[in-house]
Amino acid sequence: MSSSTTPRRRAAATLTIAAATALILASCSGGVGGDGGGSDEGPIKLGMLAPFSGSEAAFGDYMKNGAQLAIDEINDDGGVDGRDLELVVEDDACDATASVAAAQKLVTAGVLASVGGYCSGATLPTIPVFSDADIPMVIPAANSNAIVGQGAFMINGTGAQQAEAGIKFATKLGVTKVAAVNDQTDYSKDLADTFIADAEEAGGFEVVLDGAVNPDDKDFSANVKAIIDAEPEFVYWTGYYQAGGLLVRQLREAGYEGTVLVGDGTVDAQFAEIAGDGFTDDVFGTFTKTPDMLEGADDWIAAYKDVSGGEAPGPYSIQSYDAVRVVAEGMKDAGSTDGKAVNEAIAAIDGLELSSGPLKFTEDRTLSGGGFVIVEVGPEGDFVLHDDLQD
Amino acid sequence: MSQLIWNGLFVGSFYALIALGYSMVYGIIKLLNFAHGDIYMLGAFFSFVVLGGMSGLLGIGSIPVLLLVMLIAMLFTGFMGVFIERVAYRPLRGSPRLSVLITAVGVSFTLEYAVRQIFGPNPEVFPIRLSGTPITILGARITLPQVVLMIVAALLMFGLQRYIMHTREGRAMRAIALDQTASLLMGVNVNKVISRTFFIGSALAGAAGVMAAAYYGSIDFLMGFVIGLKAFTAAVIGGIGNIYGAMLGGLVLGLLESFGTHLFGGEWRDVFAFGFLILFLTFRPTGILGERVTERV
Repeated sequence: MSSSTTPRRRAAATLTIAAATALILASCSGGVGGDGGGSDEGPIKLGMLAPFSGSEAAFGDYMKNGAQLAIDEINDDGGVDGRDLELVVEDDACDATASVAAAQKLVTAGVLASVGGYCSGATLPTIPVFSDADIPMVIPAANSNAIVGQGAFMINGTGAQQAEAGIKFATKLGVTKVAAVNDQTDYSKDLADTFIADAEEAGGFEVVLDGAVNPDDKDFSANVKAIIDAEPEFVYWTGYYQAGGLLVRQLREAGYEGTVLVGDGTVDAQFAEIAGDGFTDDVFGTFTKTPDMLEGADDWIAAYKDVSGGEAPGPYSIQSYDAVRVVAEGMKDAGSTDGKAVNEAIAAIDGLELSSGPLKFTEDRTLSGGGFVIVEVGPEGDFVLHDDLQD
Repeated sequence: MSQLIWNGLFVGSFYALIALGYSMVYGIIKLLNFAHGDIYMLGAFFSFVVLGGMSGLLGIGSIPVLLLVMLIAMLFTGFMGVFIERVAYRPLRGSPRLSVLITAVGVSFTLEYAVRQIFGPNPEVFPIRLSGTPITILGARITLPQVVLMIVAALLMFGLQRYIMHTREGRAMRAIALDQTASLLMGVNVNKVISRTFFIGSALAGAAGVMAAAYYGSIDFLMGFVIGLKAFTAAVIGGIGNIYGAMLGGLVLGLLESFGTHLFGGEWRDVFAFGFLILFLTFRPTGILGERVTERV
């Protein structure tokens, strides 16, 4: 019985292998021709990696809605060369491993540009994934100095520009002793290091403490004690808001009375909630402008609310909106969606009006003007403009 | 210096409360209950929900309300502990220890991500915030809530000590820790005693969760993970299976961390704590108090 089925099995196996080979070959040719072939029709897919889960999940929706608004506007105007844009979002959870997997998923999905990137630590490892596939990246939020010079465009100010704003503010207040505290993430450490290095050159004040916390801790008594012992008049916290809220509260409870400046990762309404009532006096933040700080932004905010279902635009929504517009402009200028051509076209953009001002990229593809301002905690607990540092 | 000691004792009393549950469960059924830290997290989230439901009462004064909520949360986490033991650990009691250990890790993840599904990934702000104007004693800044929380922790531990050493049920627990089969033959209801152990250990962890939530003010679904490992470390340092060891280990770990972070900086806190865990496991696996009494509850 077995001898009679064997040839049939063998025939079936051969057929299967042949079919599989054919499939593989077919998908290969599809993949090779993918850049020019299959994706020349239908919508132009733009990929966005952002955190939709994890501690930074709130920012994912801000970014997605901002990008979607730009896409809707561009599509209403006839799209790019007659083709509609389409946003494909993936969750990177602000985690380096998850982000690489998500980036590969976007590449497989056939995106022609990337307009995402919030956490620097999660964005950094995705750069080679996109660049290997010749996919241009315009990063709306992540701004670690480690990203600079890797070929991605950054339309948020860099860590160096943010540190510069911090130094400018401290100098303006005339403080002499400053402490910098980071939470050991890429973004935070980089910002603190740049701040300290540049402060030494600026010379206006002395950095008396370079500290770090474990971001998952709740008890920062060790850091608080170190800060109080160093007697600074000014503390620059460069980490995210979760730990930031607790740290500021514990600092105040332990009797620290000086100014606290926080980096843009802590500039979030949740910060004041975590710190609690009365613990956010004399707390400022370095931040890129949000829509509500811009002049004549009411129309934009109204349009955003249509997309978001009534939610107010949060941090990085307008940068994400800008990122999509930059990519669309690049594709129009290049007259194609070919990655290399679009990259060159984006680098050559001159004078496109963004929220941070007219766009002109520097050699290393960062903004020529950072646009950082100083914000403070307003009566509602969200951050409002305090000083635009324009002198 | 006195500030360092105070900080260490304060954090250490949280560790001690949680370490007790670890140590008791280990003492009785030789299980490292890795889900124990998540019970602490459940206590915090449960009281968060209860407080949300009775926010009208908050005007009365927050410390009595908090203590009431803490008692309710202790009942809840206690029963959760019993439930977890019943569904996840008891069916595996005859299995190799590794299976139960892995199940415990599974329970831990189940609890964490179930809470994440319900409350979302973002931290929640706890409705009651304990804070007070600090007073300076011997150069250390001390606040009233810190003192209250430490007293509550000490009372809970004292009550547990009385219970285990001076009641019939406590004697049954100690008997099972020594020899489960013999206890069974002597007519001790082993299942009941093990359930009771889980109830008490989980209730204490729940109490610690509520206190930490009210003191630090922010809770999230992963808050139990590191503190669970710290409590395990505390239990090992003190001598796992020994209730005095758990208390002492908690305080010692708190002090070690406090002085360690003062010397090396806050970012070295976990390195320092778990480094000590390794040192203890290498050179004195029975812990400080674990000479021949490791088999005790």
